[in-house]
Formats: sequence, structure tokens, C-alpha cells
Amino acid sequence: MKKKLRIYLPFASNELKRQMAYKGAFYLFIFISLFGSFIQYFLWMAIYGSAENSVLGGLTREEMVVYIFMVYVTGSVVMISISDWVSDDVVKGTVAMNLIKPIDYRMSLISRAMGQVVYRFLVPGVFIWIGLEIYKVTVLGLSVTGVTNVLLYLASCIMSFFIYVLFDFCFGMVAFFTTYIFGMLMAKEALLSFLTGQLIPLSFFPEVVQKVFDYLPFSSMVYTPVMIYLGKYSDAQLCFVLARQAAWVVILYVLGSLIWKQVTKRLVVLGG
Amino acid sequence: MKLREEKIVIEVSHITKEFVSPKKYPGLKGAIKGLFSNEKVSKKAVDDISFTIEAGEIVGYIGSNGAGKSTTIKMMTGILNPTEGRCMVNGINPCKQRKENARNIGVVFGQRTQLWWDLPLSESFTILKEIYDVSDEDYKERMVFLNNVLELQDFFDRPVRTLSLGQRMRADLGAALLHNPKVLYLDEPTIGLDLVVKDNIRKAIKEINEKYQTTVILTTHDIGDIEELCSRIIIIDQGKKIYDGSLEALKDTYGTKRKVSMEVKKPEKVEHLNLAERLGVTAQECSMEVDKEQKVLTVTFDKHKLQVPQIMNAVMELTEVQDVKIQETELAEIVKQIYNHGFTGQEA
Amino acid sequence: MVKKVKRYFRLYKVLISQFFKVILQSKVDFLMGLLGFFLTQVMGIAFLYLVFEQIPSLQGWTLDQLIFIYGFAQIPRGIDHLLTDNIWMVAWRLVINGDFDRYMLRPMNIFFQVIAEKLQPDALGELLIGAILVVISLGKGIVIVDAGRILLFVVSVLAGALIYTSIKLFFASLAFWVKISGPFLQVAYEMANFAKYPTEIYAKAIRFIITWVIPFAFVAYLPASFFLKQEVSAAVIGIEYMIAVVFWCIAYAVFNHGTKVYESAGN
Repeated sequence: MKKKLRIYLPFASNELKRQMAYKGAFYLFIFISLFGSFIQYFLWMAIYGSAENSVLGGLTREEMVVYIFMVYVTGSVVMISISDWVSDDVVKGTVAMNLIKPIDYRMSLISRAMGQVVYRFLVPGVFIWIGLEIYKVTVLGLSVTGVTNVLLYLASCIMSFFIYVLFDFCFGMVAFFTTYIFGMLMAKEALLSFLTGQLIPLSFFPEVVQKVFDYLPFSSMVYTPVMIYLGKYSDAQLCFVLARQAAWVVILYVLGSLIWKQVTKRLVVLGG
Repeated sequence: MKLREEKIVIEVSHITKEFVSPKKYPGLKGAIKGLFSNEKVSKKAVDDISFTIEAGEIVGYIGSNGAGKSTTIKMMTGILNPTEGRCMVNGINPCKQRKENARNIGVVFGQRTQLWWDLPLSESFTILKEIYDVSDEDYKERMVFLNNVLELQDFFDRPVRTLSLGQRMRADLGAALLHNPKVLYLDEPTIGLDLVVKDNIRKAIKEINEKYQTTVILTTHDIGDIEELCSRIIIIDQGKKIYDGSLEALKDTYGTKRKVSMEVKKPEKVEHLNLAERLGVTAQECSMEVDKEQKVLTVTFDKHKLQVPQIMNAVMELTEVQDVKIQETELAEIVKQIYNHGFTGQEA
Repeated sequence: MVKKVKRYFRLYKVLISQFFKVILQSKVDFLMGLLGFFLTQVMGIAFLYLVFEQIPSLQGWTLDQLIFIYGFAQIPRGIDHLLTDNIWMVAWRLVINGDFDRYMLRPMNIFFQVIAEKLQPDALGELLIGAILVVISLGKGIVIVDAGRILLFVVSVLAGALIYTSIKLFFASLAFWVKISGPFLQVAYEMANFAKYPTEIYAKAIRFIITWVIPFAFVAYLPASFFLKQEVSAAVIGIEYMIAVVFWCIAYAVFNHGTKVYESAGN
């Protein structure tokens, strides 16, 4: 275990350092990315303003504010697109090199992703989160989110991270079969922003569609932790959604291993 | 006879390039610290360098990694603006009149191609013909010549990305020469190539220089390039010019060092011998190394100050010498010395 | 002068025809790219549908009208995307790794070289969905059609594309100072998504920004409303045109200055 840590830790810390190296880019990026969330906020406020009901898709106006910003925080921390790196490695032909080294390619990618998680959590994640809590108490007149909810949220986020990167690893394997993964990445992002609830809470979808979503891993990526944070689940539901997340981690892990085996076989045959 | 001024193609005067970058701290902690600090580090990559180059010269521009070679080349080609000083190429200031200058020069960077990666080489040449506005007749004539010296026809229809490094280098060289530039800049043109290809590239450069009187400035780490091609070399170290002159002159001044290797019976006996003191010279003029395993004693000395027999006598007093080898210092060694210690030979 | 323009045209033709050959060699990639952008836009429409399940209209705008605005916005975006996509490479890669050197070494306009290097066929996905939505809206009879507006439609689309190009060029040029300006460009570019909705829903400060600072409102919502509502003055297209010119001049000046401070790689 300790040895493993020694092997994979550099992947994480290098990524973190790499990210921090571009300082100038960095401050403005925080500022503008926050700005983007505010625009979304206004759009939703206008929608609530035009609606006859005060509750839309099971969320009050105040809850929607929390939803928008927590989705941003969660998504930015959890959704680390490792398939970009896979496609980079495929293009540069460095995957084969990774096969020679005594390290697990998937583990090295996930470690690198963890480095990004830390970075994204520090800036801007945690600041928006704190800002949101302050806003909640002072402007919206809600109480601070309870410790239990926060802890459950964090636990859920950790699983979300694994669900996302394990899924994305499988997805990244597509890169071995195409020379141009960019279009696929676009399609993936478009679909995910919808299916994970980033664009609009999943509760806005028709009942039938929501049923389908229950059998897909995407709702477990962002929607679940945020709804936990909002305290929208009963104890029984809570156990269920967390168990479902855990199940997805296992399923996607196994699936990824299977796909990787196939891909490496092909790699060996083709000598790529 | 022409006036000297007319022959000057490149005039670099007091050129300086300073790069300013945020201060970096080591380690992860350092990365976090760096985020909140605003300290800047400025580094003079090129520091007050001047020289002139005449038409038809082949000049080797050498120095260790990071000495400022590429930076100088980039200023001469118009990629970088100098912080201070000025350079003129064919009477044009490359930074102010980039496009005019670009017509007069050809550039090859050994580490990266300037061709279109996905296109067949032939298409790259078609595009370059348009870019440099080469007429059909000139194009045909050039291609005959380039095919002759670089043998491009072997892979003319293949996409650039499928070319071997040697082929790519020939292709890049051809591409840089298509518009018959007056000045050719070569940044590490033989890097990573095998001996045969290196030789071909060198021959091609020579031929081009002879036929078109093209002025060539090349940076290289390969001493072979310099010995075969350059009549003159400029050495820079840490941004400063430390030598500018002919290769022979350099060898003369620095070639005063000689090496003698002796196989001795009992190396431990000479291990603590202070040869320089014993022979009454300074440590710089005479130094020695002992390889106990091979039982070899190597003495480096100034040939004007000491003679081989003197050294051998001193050693033989202590132990038996079984074999002796004497070497003149090679250029590679000279350059290595210069990089390591700076150029001190000039004063001597 | 004429000769010079001719030379640029000839070169552009050569470069682009080369590029088509490369695309034809990889049809699958092309179709996937198309699909990617097409899907992104479809999701945007689906979002509107879901929202309008809950509300009858958004501050007086109907779903049909919003769909027209949405579709209209895709056309200038698609044109710019098709022609100048290589600007992104300046922001992310070319400056930091020194590949920008090659543009500096050739006796042609640098900006021309940058954009001539690549056509982005993915953009056809955006153009396609934009055209479909505009045609649907025409079929529904919610768009005002007269000779003046048809002409101004063309002017507006071209000016809009130029605004896109200018914004991209401006943010990409920051790379000459910060090495990688991709994140800035990304965010600025994504702000266009928000100008697909009527700007009066936003707070004043934000409305000001997307109208005058990063003027995407003049690419999408404002000109689109001119084609939807009789009472909107044609001056809006005039302002769009002026903004396009001013922003282009600024962006191009910054780009030009950037090439002067370009530091290449390896230091």
C-alpha cells in the first residue's frame, strides 16, 4: 500500500503543481467562472419570476440557488475529464510507453485526476461553497447546512469522483479507435451536462425519463450529492442512493478493467 | 574589389534579451506560495552580444544548453524582439520589417518541423511556393537542385508525419531553401541523426553555400558539424560572447593542453603525489588523475611549460611505468573545457 | 495591392483544398465532430422545452420566439467557428510550445496564416441546426420577412461572425503575455451561451457586460429580436456593425502587439 502510494502520489502532486504554475491565468479564471454561475442564477430567477408556482421541479427558489452553485462546485471538483489525457497519450503514442512501466495506466490517470481535485477544491470550489453558505444565511434567510448533510455530501462526492473518472476511463478508450476524439468529447460533455443534472435538475424531466435515469450512472455523478446536500432524501432513500453510488463504482471499475484488457491486447497486436 | 561594408550580411550590435518570469519555488509548498507571491525573476538570455557576418560565411554558433544560442537566432530571424541593441540582416531590421526579412532568410529548427504535418511533402512545397511567391521557372530550377543534393524525390509524395527523422530534416532543409534565401539559419540541424545522414546533410549545406554563396549560421552541439563546415565560430556562454574567431586559432590557444596516460604497476604509490608542486608549475598547468582499477595515471599539462620526459621521470621515481600514451586535446575537449570553466585561454 | 490580394486568395485556396483532402480521408472523425456540436445545440433546445413545461412565457417571450433566437445565434457562431477555429490553438498551444515561430518566419500576414491553416468542419453542426431552427421559425410565421430585413439578416450574420472572431482573437492574444490563455478564451466564449436568452432577465451589471464588454448580446439576442418584433429599430443592426468594426480593431491591435512581445519557447 505504502509502495503504491509512493508510485502514484507523484502523478497527483505533479498535476497540482502544473495547474498552479499558470498563476496569471488563474485569478481571472476564478473570477470569470464565478461570473458564469451568476448568469445562470439570473436565468433561473427569471424563470421563477415567470412561473405561477413557487416550487418548480420540487425545488423552491431558494433551494434552486443552492442547487445552481452546489452543482457548479460539485461538477468542477468531481468531473475531471481523464479521457482528454487518454486521447493526448494516444495521439502522442505514449500509451505504449506506459504499458512498459510497472504501473497501472488507469491508476496513474486517476492519481493525476486527484491532484486536480485538490486544486479545484481549493480554488475556486471551497470559496464558492463558503460564499454560498454566507449568502444562504444572510440573504435567503435559511440556516447553515447541517454537519451530517455536509459529511454525507462529501462521502457522496468521493464516490461521484470515482464514478466519473471510471466512466470517463471507459469512454477514453474510444480514443484508441479514432484519431479524432474531440467530437466525441463534445458529445459526451453535452450529454453529461444534461444527464447529470448540471444543466437542469433531473426532477424537471418527465416521470418516465426519470425512471430511465435511475438505471444510468449519470445521476450519481452530480445530482445525487447535491440533493443530499439539500437534504432532499429520507433516511431510506439516502441509504439507497449511496448504495447505488457504491454499486456504480464497482460496476464501472470492472467494466473498465475488461475494456482495458481488450484494448491492450489490440495494442500488442498492432504494436501501437 | 568590393567595399567591406557591402559584404556584411548580418550586423548584430549590443543585442540583449531579457526574460522576466514569475519566481518559482520548489516543491508543492512552493507551488502554493508561488500563487500568492508577486516576485519576478529576470534573466538575461543574451547579454550584450555583437558580431558581424559576411556574405558566404558559414559560422558555427555554439554554447551549452541555455547559453542563449537559440535566443540569438530567434532575434536575427525576427521571432523575438531584442530588449536592447539592434540587429540588421541584409540592411533590414527583422523586428520592424518582419515580412521583408522573411523573404531573405531560410530557417530550420532541428527540433520541430515547419512543414504541414498531415500533408504530403509535395503539397507543403506547393504551399511554400505560393507563400514565397516563387515563379514557376525558379521553382523548377530549385527543385532540380534540391533533389540533387537532398534526394527529396524518394519521399516527395509521403505525408510529413510518416517521414523518418533524417528524411524530415532533408525535407525541412529543402523547404527552407526553396525561395533561395540569402541567409540560412540552422538550429541544431543534425540533432538525433545517424552518422550517414549527418554526413549527407553537411555535404548538402556545403554545396548550397558554394553554389549560391548562401550565408549560413548554425548552432550545434555536434563538434563534427563545426569541424566539417565552419570556417569561423562564435562561442557564447551564459548569454555572453566568449570567443569569436577561426577554428584554428581556437585550437592553437586551447590546444596547448596535452594529455599523457601511463599504465603503472602500483598506482597507490603515486596517488598522493603533487606533480605540479614537484615540477614547479601551477595546478592549472598540470593536473593528474589516478584510476586505481585500471592502474592508469592520466596527467593533463601545458605543452609550453612541461615535457613528457619530465613527468615520466617524476612518476618513475615512485613506481614502474609499463605503458605510455600521449594525446593532443581534441576540439570536443576544448569546447567542454570552455563550457565548464569559461574562456580563460585568451589571456594566456 | 491587387496582386497582393490575389496572392492571398490563391494561397487560401491551396491551403483549404489541402485541408479538404485531409477531411475526406477521415470521414468518421468528421461525422463525429458534427454530431458533437449538433448534440450540444439539441441539449440547449431540450433545456428550453423542459423549462417551458413549468412556465407559459419567459418575461413575455414565447418558446417559439426563444427557439428562433437560439437558432439565429448559431449562424454567426458557426461561420466564425468554421473559418477561424485555429485561433484556439494560439490560446492553448502554439504560443507556449513555440510553434507560433513558424508564422513569424514567413513573409505573409500572421493572422492570415493562423486562420488559413484550418477549416473546422464541426461547425457545420452548428450551421445546420441554426438553419433548421430558423426555417422552422419561418414556417411558424413568427419572423418578420421583408426586403430590408433579408438584407440586414445577411449584414447581421456577418457582423456577428466578426464579433465572435474579435472576441476569440482578443482573448487568444493574451497568450503572448500569460503563455496559455485557453481558460480565458474558453470562459469568454462560453458566455455567448447566455446571450442566447433575452438579456432583460439579467441584473443591470451583467446585462451591461454581455452587451458592451463582451458583446455577445449583439450577436444573438438583440439582432434576433429585430427580426421578431416590428417595434425594434433597425439601428440595432447598425450598432452591431459598428461594434464589430471597433472590436475587430481592438482585437487585431492586441494581437499585433502580442506578436511583438512573443517570447517563443525554451526559456
